[in-house]
Amino acid sequence: MTTFGVHESSLPELFATAALSAYDDAGVDPADIDAFYFGNAMGGQTENDTHLAPTLATEVGLAGVPAQRFEDACATSANAFKNAVQAVEAGIHDTVLVGGVERCTPETGKGTGEMTRIFASASHRQYEQPTGLTFPGVFALLTKRHMHEYGTTEEQLAHVAVKNHGNGTRNPRAHFGSETTVEEVLDSPVVADPFHLMDCCPFSDGAAAVVVTSDDSAASFDDPVDVTGVGHATDLVPLGLKPTLHATQAARDAAAQAYEQAGVTADEIDFAEVHDCFTGAEVLASEAIGFFEDGQGGPAAEAGRTALDGDRPINPSGGLKAKGHPIGATGVAQIVELTEQLRGEAGDRQLDDPQRGLAHNLGGDAGTTVISIMEARA
Amino acid sequence: MSANMDETVSVGYEAWADALRSERVLGVSCSDCGATYGTPISVCHDCGSQDLELVDLPTDGTLYSVTRVAVPPTGFEGPYHVGIVQLGAARVTARIETAAEDNPEIGDPVVLSGVMEADDGHPAPVFEVETD
Repeated sequence: MTTFGVHESSLPELFATAALSAYDDAGVDPADIDAFYFGNAMGGQTENDTHLAPTLATEVGLAGVPAQRFEDACATSANAFKNAVQAVEAGIHDTVLVGGVERCTPETGKGTGEMTRIFASASHRQYEQPTGLTFPGVFALLTKRHMHEYGTTEEQLAHVAVKNHGNGTRNPRAHFGSETTVEEVLDSPVVADPFHLMDCCPFSDGAAAVVVTSDDSAASFDDPVDVTGVGHATDLVPLGLKPTLHATQAARDAAAQAYEQAGVTADEIDFAEVHDCFTGAEVLASEAIGFFEDGQGGPAAEAGRTALDGDRPINPSGGLKAKGHPIGATGVAQIVELTEQLRGEAGDRQLDDPQRGLAHNLGGDAGTTVISIMEARA
Repeated sequence: MSANMDETVSVGYEAWADALRSERVLGVSCSDCGATYGTPISVCHDCGSQDLELVDLPTDGTLYSVTRVAVPPTGFEGPYHVGIVQLGAARVTARIETAAEDNPEIGDPVVLSGVMEADDGHPAPVFEVETD
């Protein structure tokens, strides 16, 4: 994957940086790749750039293979990954390239107001957008309800930002490389209450790519890791139709599928990368994947249980909050972090010999969630 | 197949928007299982029935969740409050206004106070927090 941050490169060239490093890591040539599964959420809106799958395939030497683009808001490239894994599992393809790319910074020529409107296009066009609802607003509504039900506090949310910024300083690819404090988070301007600016992930540019191959072929690759479960579920849209707003039910359903496929429980997962587009989203996710009882996500964050040295590490990469969030690249970037942690190649942020990790990639108003479980190869 | 291939539109968005401009908030109710939804959909999520009827929702209720949006999208002037209002058995996303200086809070009583139309001809309900 590329660094996440500000990139001047075009979408094809930015993606090529990630794809070529994935080829190199896997020891494959384009001739070894049978198909291309690709995610980009908003290129049509941000850069007037669509039909990107064959364009990017051409850029990285894959013209001719079946290439498909996925769009599921922030869960875009996790859905590409799911479809790739299932196609390989079904024997349709043997070895495929999976990736995503997005540019969200002012490099696209779009400012904060325009990007805020483009992000809001993932909420219901008729029944939500006309109110002026934004995406910080969507997650604020979810989080406010969680605070109401369980007493979750703004200080607990700020601890998520502090932890993820700390992890990000150990990740050379992170958008943000500086520590922060609870006081700094709480003193930063409010974007949509309870979220301050420092509760929010940045607008980032970046790309990520991985190679997925069959179980039989994996033995001939250097240092493969296993995908043992991929769950995918949806919830009702708009927000008003969701029975319990703060439950993020799609994440619970997708996690149940992934745990069943992998034959494990939440207690057997050593760490998770979760979709912390806002600090509250990490608290909700930590409960939805079963790391903590409902209502305990906030206290667990405050107590340091999700830190690198905690008993349930979450977002060792720095998460979306510090690593950055180029929408269509985020899901596969989580898969990259799981891979590096399971290989023991995560450098200064390496966890203590993890054997099993989980990625939680959420799209839109929690209407989509994809959960992937990966394990070190015995 | 029905003679009027567009007849399902009569329980859809256009009817919802027209009613809202007359300060009525419509949801849909399933004729088969009785489930009620705050915004029109074509198939009942609970039982799969396609026999859904537009129904008037109460125009007063309580705040289920609410946030103050300080960074608005292009086309909107902030800050303002957006909330989800509980109207009987259904919930609807709406702009929230308050006469008092206090921020609106979950559980506050609200009543429909008008309709806004800031977004390319798409109306949105506006609810006001009721004060004592």
